[in-house]
Amino acid sequence: MRSFGPGAGSMRVLIVEDDPLVGDAVRLALVAAGLATDLVGSAEAARSALAVETFDLIVIDIGLPGESGLRLLQGLRSRGRVLPALILTARDGLTDRVTALDLGADDYLTKPFHVPELVARCRALIRRANAVASSRVAFGHLELDMTHREVSVSGRMLDLTQREWAILECLVLNAGRLVSKDKLLHAVADWSHDLTPNAVEQYVSRLRNKLGAAARIRAVRGMGYRIDDGSA
Amino acid sequence: MTARPERATSIRWRLFATLFVPAALVLCAGTVTTYLAVAPPVTDAYDQALLESALAIAAHVQPNANGRLELKLPPDALAIVRADSKDSVFFRVSSADGTFIAGDADLPEPMQRGNRLERDAEYHGMPVRLVGYRTYAGNFGFSVTMGETTHKRDEMRSRLLWIALAADGVVLGLILTLIWFSVNRSLAPLRALEDQIARRSANDLTPVALGDVPAEIRGVVAALNRLFGLVREGAVSQRRFLDNAAHQLRTPLTGIQAQLELMCVSEEDPARRLRLTRILDGARRLGYTTHQLLTLARADESANPRWDFEDVELTTIVEAVIADSLAAAEDAGIDLGAEPEGATVRGIGWLLTEAVKALTNNALEHTPAGGSVTLRCGIERGAAFLEVVDTGVGIPAHERERVLERFFRASNARGSGSGLGLAIVKEVSDLHGGVVTIAAGPGAVGTRIRMELPAVAAPAVSVSSDSESNIVVPLLRRSRT
Repeated sequence: MRSFGPGAGSMRVLIVEDDPLVGDAVRLALVAAGLATDLVGSAEAARSALAVETFDLIVIDIGLPGESGLRLLQGLRSRGRVLPALILTARDGLTDRVTALDLGADDYLTKPFHVPELVARCRALIRRANAVASSRVAFGHLELDMTHREVSVSGRMLDLTQREWAILECLVLNAGRLVSKDKLLHAVADWSHDLTPNAVEQYVSRLRNKLGAAARIRAVRGMGYRIDDGSA
Repeated sequence: MTARPERATSIRWRLFATLFVPAALVLCAGTVTTYLAVAPPVTDAYDQALLESALAIAAHVQPNANGRLELKLPPDALAIVRADSKDSVFFRVSSADGTFIAGDADLPEPMQRGNRLERDAEYHGMPVRLVGYRTYAGNFGFSVTMGETTHKRDEMRSRLLWIALAADGVVLGLILTLIWFSVNRSLAPLRALEDQIARRSANDLTPVALGDVPAEIRGVVAALNRLFGLVREGAVSQRRFLDNAAHQLRTPLTGIQAQLELMCVSEEDPARRLRLTRILDGARRLGYTTHQLLTLARADESANPRWDFEDVELTTIVEAVIADSLAAAEDAGIDLGAEPEGATVRGIGWLLTEAVKALTNNALEHTPAGGSVTLRCGIERGAAFLEVVDTGVGIPAHERERVLERFFRASNARGSGSGLGLAIVKEVSDLHGGVVTIAAGPGAVGTRIRMELPAVAAPAVSVSSDSESNIVVPLLRRSRT
């Protein structure tokens, strides 16, 4: 696996998972992705770790022994911690998912998951947090400057129109996930209100040409688009 | 009332019979009593009238010059005695030794003892009533016998009988009506309860309200409610068991799969990597089959009471499944797409998602590289539908029914599917009151499997898919607005 990108070495993830086999796999996967990790097996241990260390992401299994993962998350959010949280669960009912998102989870993954999917989700969460904190987002060979709305490929600046930038920004912040045409339409609608889905296709097509091999924007027929940095 | 079999044990009919039959018998007895009580005085009255005629005649019996008794009554007076509009009146005067003196010689003797006697007899073939009077004229004893046909008496008796019967008939009718109304009225709460229970859907297990249930069937209803409670608890504990089973099975499977995935990536030796890949495939199949078995068990109607149903927007399901299956489609070189149109159904979102996932996985498995799989949803002819169309190998027409059975795999099935996918689709569709149809795809290529579901009356206006509710709206735009 490739390294996470510029500055990723300093990123630290707390994994709260009681099953040693799963916990170890998550830890190995994130380490391979260039992230520093700490693995704990209970909510209490997680709180102790959070008290002494700064983390950029927390991965919580809902089914912890004793205090559940949801309670841990609730406790964190009630104390105002904005630490991005990814919830893992073995239950596939919608209620868990809804509850987790309501309690302030940023993303949600059902077991069994694919390792690349887990890594992609973790990266996306860290990327979003970064976009807020440093207004700079690294995505594969791309680097986005949120403040100046500029994007560079390996240090070379790309010349994007405002609409192309808006689409790229929306795709990158939701990297690895399907973004519907409606969402993209909304992202560019600030500048004009009479845009059609066809217009979105045109902007995406121009954006693809400008990005070249730096990132892949895949069309999903009838649904929308998804951007990959090619590593997942 | 139709002759329904339950009439045999109908409380209504039993009440009706046990109230009405005795009432009718009592009234009949009353009629007989009335008749028996009223008839003798009537007879007495007529007898008295006849006796008075006898007295009138006796007053005119006198001894004549040669010492024999004779009736000295003018013919006019006799005519008055005999006059009667309805009956024929006969008389006979005879001496104490039975010698005929005057009148109708062949009129039978009623005489027993005493001076007043009555009896019924027959005279010239007609029923007659005889009244006798025995007295003396001077030293000569004699008797007067009056006879009268019974027309008046019969008529009066039958009139009395008819009046009694008519009166009792009216009373009986009134009683019948009263019983009918009060029985129906008393049983109305039973019928209301029956309606209340009949209106419930099969999996409505909420207790029956005891509010207006009559005391007599409170016990039954309470027992029913206890039973509902037990079934409800059973459903809840079954669901809890399945939740736990899902957790207990999935967690180690996740660990094994994730560890194997990591080992595959880091393994340098190609031969060992191939073996690891095969083990990983096996673990994934095991995981998927476990998942499907659990889904099938949890799709059971008893574990999903209708009170859990929510409004589900089908486009969000299509979007979720597409997002979930994109990687698999890319790996297989299949063009995965969608044609989502807004449609809302009442149901359980995650189960519908599992059904569409199962259809999509099947389609991806049975479609060769270069083919396409399309997920569609929308409303057609008033019904909501979810369907998956592929350009794959298709399902032979004669096997289309059987593929919905558990573990059945079509003769041309590919890959390593468990044969549970379509059973899940069927089960989920049944739970939602839907219909599954299997047909060939457009141009007789591939397969089109469609789930038709009852649509929620007013389709949701906003179709903007917020299935990924945590999708990020670009920060720049957020700051600007």
